[in-house]
Amino acid sequence: MSVDPFRTLGIDPRFDLDLEALDTRHRDLSAALHPDRYTTKPANERRMALDRAINVNTAWRQLRDPVQRAERLLEHHGIAISETTAPKASPTLLMEMMEVREELSEAKQARDLDRIGKLGQSMSAKEAEVLEALRLGFVSAAGDVNTLRTLLPTLGELRYLKRFFEEVEAIEEQLLD
Amino acid sequence: MALFEIFDPAASPKPIGIDLGTTHSIVARMRDGKPTPITNCDLESLVPSAVFYDERGQVIVGREALRMASSHPRETIVSVKRLIGRGADDEETKRLGTFEFVAPTTDEEARTVRLRVGADRVVGPVEVSAEILKALKQLAEDELRSVGGAVITVPAYFDDAQRQATKDAGRLAGLEVLRLLNEPTAAALAYGLDKKKDGLFAVYDLGGGTFDITILLLDGGVFQVKSTGGNSALGGDDMDRALAEILLAAMQAQAIDKDTTAGRELVRLALDAARQAKHALTKEAAIDLELPVRGGGQTSVRITREQFEELIAPIVARTGRSCRRALRDAGVNADQLDGVILVGGSTRVPYVRNYVQEIFGQEPLADIDPDLVVAMGAAVQADVLAGGEDRAGEILLLDVLPLSLGLGTMGGVVEKVLPRNTTIPAGARQVFTTYADKQTGFDLHIVQGERELVQDCRSLARFTLKGIPPMAAGMARLEVTFRVDADGLLTVSAKELTTGIEQEVEVEPSYGLSDEQVEQMLLEALDHGEQDLDTRRLVERRVEAERIVSATRRALEEDPGLLQDGERDTIEQAMSTLSEAIAGTSPGAILTGIETLDETSKAFAGRRMDRAIAHAIAGRGVDEVDETVSHARGVEAHVAEHEARRSSPAASHEGNT
Repeated sequence: MSVDPFRTLGIDPRFDLDLEALDTRHRDLSAALHPDRYTTKPANERRMALDRAINVNTAWRQLRDPVQRAERLLEHHGIAISETTAPKASPTLLMEMMEVREELSEAKQARDLDRIGKLGQSMSAKEAEVLEALRLGFVSAAGDVNTLRTLLPTLGELRYLKRFFEEVEAIEEQLLD
Repeated sequence: MALFEIFDPAASPKPIGIDLGTTHSIVARMRDGKPTPITNCDLESLVPSAVFYDERGQVIVGREALRMASSHPRETIVSVKRLIGRGADDEETKRLGTFEFVAPTTDEEARTVRLRVGADRVVGPVEVSAEILKALKQLAEDELRSVGGAVITVPAYFDDAQRQATKDAGRLAGLEVLRLLNEPTAAALAYGLDKKKDGLFAVYDLGGGTFDITILLLDGGVFQVKSTGGNSALGGDDMDRALAEILLAAMQAQAIDKDTTAGRELVRLALDAARQAKHALTKEAAIDLELPVRGGGQTSVRITREQFEELIAPIVARTGRSCRRALRDAGVNADQLDGVILVGGSTRVPYVRNYVQEIFGQEPLADIDPDLVVAMGAAVQADVLAGGEDRAGEILLLDVLPLSLGLGTMGGVVEKVLPRNTTIPAGARQVFTTYADKQTGFDLHIVQGERELVQDCRSLARFTLKGIPPMAAGMARLEVTFRVDADGLLTVSAKELTTGIEQEVEVEPSYGLSDEQVEQMLLEALDHGEQDLDTRRLVERRVEAERIVSATRRALEEDPGLLQDGERDTIEQAMSTLSEAIAGTSPGAILTGIETLDETSKAFAGRRMDRAIAHAIAGRGVDEVDETVSHARGVEAHVAEHEARRSSPAASHEGNT
């Protein structure tokens, strides 16, 4: 997606966004662009509004998600992002993730929702640490491309955690059904 | 006021809201600023969603049709909503019922359920639904004289095929479908406007055949859906069926051949008795049913509320799972909710109410009639969309995609393109590359659902991209754009990136009707064939053109300041050319006129759009925006972005599921 979500929403490009302000901006722009507002407008305005309403929703979705927000922010500073070219996370993290995954799949086998919940919680604490590290990293980099590049492994950690949470959610859903 | 309306010979078309329900349907409209269900001469607003096909090909809808159900169980279609947008082999066709399903002989026939309603008459759910919609339209016309556009509600959990089929039914009924609106959102709209209370709400909607749970935030006229979930084949009908199985046993008829007329009559009788019992048990502790015994005689069956509740417990429990998931998807706990709104006739069952109270930990709200609230919300939205009331500026519905959209990959695994609960309208782009030298085509399989494997998801359509310039493998880069509009309907377009050539997208829907089939049905619905279709096209195009002219005129009046030198003249000229074409009889000339006007006013439209964005960014409730626009952050960025977008070829809006 080549469109810069920060520009689309007209907000300062930064990692520690005020999420409430982000939601408000999304709603204000939706109020201006939603197709419901254009039913009696000329066809070309209807089309343009639909395009832009989609862009606004996409931008909002991206910026609400810390992983994508970090990716878009790096792109904003000219650092190309793709999952395959990003530096791998540290070996320590990989080991840790492997262990946690193993524990997760054991808990899944045992249908142990309590244990799955606890695993999720401990990883949430980890996520909070990583988010804080990213926040500080972006602040101290102050837009310097080389410093920003050093944040890529931390971003990698966040991706691993995100995938882990998705897995936890899927398992919980499956076990609850 | 009312009298004046009735006798006004030149009544302007008025928008209507339609709740096309499994058991009942309702049409409503705005009256003195309030959503009001329209009643028939017996002052009934609930029209049974029953369609009877008689031997001479006549169609009867509503209460009269329902009366025919016991004597003509095969020819009287009820609960057709459970079948719409489904394939011939769907599980729904295998449940206890009285219909004769026609086995498909071609792939095309297999894409939709087909019902035999006469010796030589087979109909599909779209046609049956269209009959119900026609009856509602007639009911509305009796009161309003002239009906404008319609908002039709659908279960929030309806997938793309079910939505498309509902829209097709609307077209077939001769309605201009302004919007498909999710039922829980419609209910919240009626409720929110009535109570004027902001907060976080859950809407628990258990109808005759569908279940929806929606978590949404009401804030100053904005209705923002956070998550939705449900089951489009779960409702009061399933309670009836569970009870009917027991009654059939008491009638010693459990082993009847349900495909015979006699068998169908017994099943219909059992289903009707079950429904009566269900209704009675909302107040009584027990009910005695007098039932015929197969082969002669009568039997008396006592059903207690306890028994009934035990029977429906597993059905109701299934709604609980969806509720928990919806809460989780919304990221909220039940105790954060400011209210739980009950919608749908099945929420009258005391066991259901208690269950809802247990799940959400609070007493649910049911002070607006759960049967009428959806239609009332639809009437409000229809009014807003028709640009009627000043309300238009106050209300905004931000709904979501109920089920994830994904692409089937070579390995049979689904790659998600848009996750469930994404706010709509939504879009996503993916870039593909060719895998063979000189490959000129590409197939995409679109599925909807949450499961990992393609085979476990619902197949929506296969898109074939054609006309890729021949290149070496991996050289062509295809950008495929997915868009979900405010109706929740998907369209796909594609572009080859290295050449910028727009690709032709051929759509083969997995379920439902193709565009050609709908056209064909429209044609058959007319009495005099081709000539009428041409007339109809001309009329439709004229209406469209007139709308565009008046909308453009309004835009010119609103924003003379945004016009550049000479621009007004060019636009005015295109408008008068189009007006001349409207006066003529050539649909082609009108189309050309529309396109020319569209093109000449594009830059002006773009400026209006930029200004709208600037307004929004400058802040809420600012009237003197022109002064603040220049200070607003990001406005320049928007203008620059817009310029950049205009210089590159715009993505196509064609391509339809």
